[in-house]
Amino acid sequence: MVSDDSTDKEEDIDAAAQYVLGVGDTASREEAERRIAADPAFASEVAAWTERLNPLAIVYGEEIPPVYIKQRIEGELFGANTSISRRPVSTIWRPVALAASLALLVSLGFNLRSALEPSGGPARLVVSLEAADSPVKFLALYEPRTRAVRLSQVTAPQQPASDYELWLVEGSQAPVSLGVLPRQGIAQIAVPPALAGRFAEGAALAISLEPQGGSPTGAPTGPIVASGALKKI
Amino acid sequence: MDEQGYLLAALIARVALRDRAAFADLYDRTSSKLFAICLRIVKDRTEAEDALQDAYVRIWRRSSTWRAGETSPLGWLCAIARNCAIDRVRSRERPAVNLSEALEIADPDPGPETSAMMAGELQQIELCLGELPGERAQAVRAAYVDGYSYQELADRFGVPINTMRTWLHRSLRALRACLER
Repeated sequence: MVSDDSTDKEEDIDAAAQYVLGVGDTASREEAERRIAADPAFASEVAAWTERLNPLAIVYGEEIPPVYIKQRIEGELFGANTSISRRPVSTIWRPVALAASLALLVSLGFNLRSALEPSGGPARLVVSLEAADSPVKFLALYEPRTRAVRLSQVTAPQQPASDYELWLVEGSQAPVSLGVLPRQGIAQIAVPPALAGRFAEGAALAISLEPQGGSPTGAPTGPIVASGALKKI
Repeated sequence: MDEQGYLLAALIARVALRDRAAFADLYDRTSSKLFAICLRIVKDRTEAEDALQDAYVRIWRRSSTWRAGETSPLGWLCAIARNCAIDRVRSRERPAVNLSEALEIADPDPGPETSAMMAGELQQIELCLGELPGERAQAVRAAYVDGYSYQELADRFGVPINTMRTWLHRSLRALRACLER
């Protein structure tokens, strides 16, 4: 059994290497991409090979692309003329424009949630979570309309048998847990309606290192590895 | 992580939160590097522009899958550009370009930031490639840099495709063992 497992692992490492090097045909590349999405261990092998071979990328040098490429990309992602501005041209026209760009985006198979985001509404809050002498850094965005906090890792070393837990901290009140963060990717956390009113400038978010599954007591038990105050954007 | 890596990491994190200004900034800082990659692999300007567009669309859509602890931010971005360019050329026949012409397409002189960042690691991988038989080291390099397939490499090096598979298979295992020493 043991030797079978290690043979499988060697084969996975070979398959990851072949994918990163890029020598396979379309079918084998699509198979590797399916595995990256479905199998975190395989995705880690691909990441490791990406790092191993990345120094070779130095020979590519740099070449400035034509300016219209950026507009084409933003057009494909955000619809025509949206550029990077968040300010609607006119409140009256906004629903019409939104409906039109939604139709366009739906026809392109684009993610509806992303398409809805840049429209106005109550101010969103953003917070950069960090701490001196800590390698952990996250960025978080609070969207009042959906009462959701989204967190994205900047640097977040994996700690064995531990989880990161997010807390809302407000004045001298006891921190309230908002949940344990997933080990990778974006954390999307729903804020209970009762807590939504406390998401305002001046309140803070903090992340503590907890035993796997989160704090057993309901209060932070491990060190606070990152924190930051909420700011309007 | 150095200052440049840290900045790119923060930008990718913001892009994952659907921040368009961060996306524009990330594009401005990295598109020259990624375009050089697309050009080198695709070897056609118009198609390289399409590959670059594919790459940034993928960067926006997959930013939440970046594994902060495992891949450097620039390494992740470069990998996406390479993959988009390779996917494009796999679906068609590439124009035949000889190696010296191909070298002229992209300026092989890296920017000072890139060189400083990669110098140590580059030295390491060069040492390990140096331990391989000459042709096999060249095959690994050509596969990575130009995105050639097994078949294209076999044609270039004048060996049967199965021989090329064996070369690369053994070379990659040897390379990993060397880099982990």
